[in-house]
Amino acid sequence: MAALVLPASLLVLLLLVAPMLLLFRISLNEFSPTQMMVEATSAANYLRAVQDPYYRQVLLTTLAVATGSTLLALGLGFPTAYWLARMQGRWKSLATITVLFPLLVGNVVRAAGWLALLGNGGAINATLLGLGLIAAPLPLLYNTGAVVAGIVAVVLPYMVLTLSAVIEGIPRQTEEAAANLGARPMTVFRRVVLPQALPGVAAGSVLVFVLCMNTYASAVLLGGPQFKMMAPAVYDQFVRGNNWPFGAALAFILLGITLVLTVAGSAALGRRYRC
Amino acid sequence: MGSLVLDALGKRYGSSVAVERVDLDVRQGEMVALLGPSGCGKTTTLRMVAGFVEPTAGRVLIGGGDVTRAPPHARDTGMVFQSYALFPHMSVGANVAFGLEMRRIGRAEREQRVREVLRLVRLEGLEDRLPRQLSGGQQQRVALARALVVNPAVFLLDEPLSNLDAKLRGEVRMEIRALQQRLGLTTLIVTHDQEEALTMADRLVVMERGRVRQVGSAEDLYERPADPFVAGFVGRCNLLDGRLETPGRFRTASGALLPCGAPEGAGGDAVLALRPEHVRVAPAADGPGRLVAVTYLGPQTEYHLDLAGTRLLAVQPTPGAADPMRRLSPGDAVSISWDAAAARLLPAAQPDKEPDA
Repeated sequence: MAALVLPASLLVLLLLVAPMLLLFRISLNEFSPTQMMVEATSAANYLRAVQDPYYRQVLLTTLAVATGSTLLALGLGFPTAYWLARMQGRWKSLATITVLFPLLVGNVVRAAGWLALLGNGGAINATLLGLGLIAAPLPLLYNTGAVVAGIVAVVLPYMVLTLSAVIEGIPRQTEEAAANLGARPMTVFRRVVLPQALPGVAAGSVLVFVLCMNTYASAVLLGGPQFKMMAPAVYDQFVRGNNWPFGAALAFILLGITLVLTVAGSAALGRRYRC
Repeated sequence: MGSLVLDALGKRYGSSVAVERVDLDVRQGEMVALLGPSGCGKTTTLRMVAGFVEPTAGRVLIGGGDVTRAPPHARDTGMVFQSYALFPHMSVGANVAFGLEMRRIGRAEREQRVREVLRLVRLEGLEDRLPRQLSGGQQQRVALARALVVNPAVFLLDEPLSNLDAKLRGEVRMEIRALQQRLGLTTLIVTHDQEEALTMADRLVVMERGRVRQVGSAEDLYERPADPFVAGFVGRCNLLDGRLETPGRFRTASGALLPCGAPEGAGGDAVLALRPEHVRVAPAADGPGRLVAVTYLGPQTEYHLDLAGTRLLAVQPTPGAADPMRRLSPGDAVSISWDAAAARLLPAAQPDKEPDA
């Protein structure tokens, strides 16, 4: 058996690990405007990323947007996931497909949809202007709110599906038992459903947080030129600035912080609720 | 008026009827069993009492108060679920204390009452365990303790023994009955196991396809069944279709003329109900019956018989080793008899028809 799975495993390992190692090596190189990349072993790129107030701000924005979007996705996703998990029969398949449906459309296309909705000539502003409720278009686009809306729309299916898989495993009768013992619906949720759903909350939040931290299309298209998150910043260094070493360092900082936060987050949750 | 009253209680889902109409009056401290095959509406009836299913007709009264439209948390019932439904993330102590917490009972009294009830169900010292660390029997007793600790006005048991192995089931059955009697709990138990119902309940309600077929004590149901369904469901019974030809004479559908306990009247389709233990068998070379099969069951022996085309089952104490009965083998001719009074005449089974929507 081991002999059968070994070749494929090695290939996967190679495909996953080799680019990372290469990227890490690049991040230690130096950049010269004339020679592009110069072989070196220095932490200068990392120091610059941490010390430069601009990149510190980009990182903070990324963290704030990712945290906010994750919490919003959790708040919106839980009721939907619960409803989906407790659904019966053929309506359940239909509802599951409906939740999955947005995933059939790429991020860029979905962001374009938000543009058509929120833009100055978009559906909302056109309607309000047409009704004479506003004199000038509302600035709905190119702000943090638009980016968060775009991101949540992208990550919500992942949150809902992860949560509902766990909620389905919560015996309905434990909820009935709690109600039978005198618990009101909100108490049933707080004392019986939520504690049993915590593994799903942890898994869904980690998955969604990682996706949010690496947001690209929503940030660029809905945030506009002034709005910067980490993934677009990495792209800029590689493609526009041709500064591969600094771009690689930014990528590793993004990776490291995401990793540390998700591990710490799920460990804290696990300790608190023994799940 | 009883402490639990079901008044013309019914439940329909669209045009299909889950419970047609249940009228029941459970006295304070009485244990009543809802008995019937799966799909007969017994669980739906119990869930209407707990408030998990909203009735489409009739009323539920607990302690004289109408709770038909009250949500589950506002009803004073304590339910033991078939799956126990223990809270897996809470310790045994927290599980049992949950209902007391919901009733805003102070910590000191809560702890005291949890300790008492755990002693009652012989689980003292296991407060800090998680449910998954307990055996099935122990989990079942936690579920009992959790429902008992709040002193519910009505105690509800939904097939509480079906997840236990056969040996444990017998023990727990006696334990629950003893607790129920000692605490004077008004109890409704749902079961499909007639032995469980017969041994635990003061009265039984036999249900079939959403209807109550008969309400009575174990003796009532076994010795005086109201219809062929009850006769066949409670204990084993020979049920023969036919008609009463003359007073005391029953003509089976296959043509045999049999004695029965109906000294008056004649005519009309009927069912003859004859308990197997009332059928006597004896070797007789010129007997009208024929032995089809013999099953030795230790203290008892079953005889599968053919009487002029009619199949009959007889169950007799196993005869001694020297008895000629022991040498009977399939195909032998036998004589078959019973006391006419033991053969009860019941109304013919209603033809299957959908209840009108």
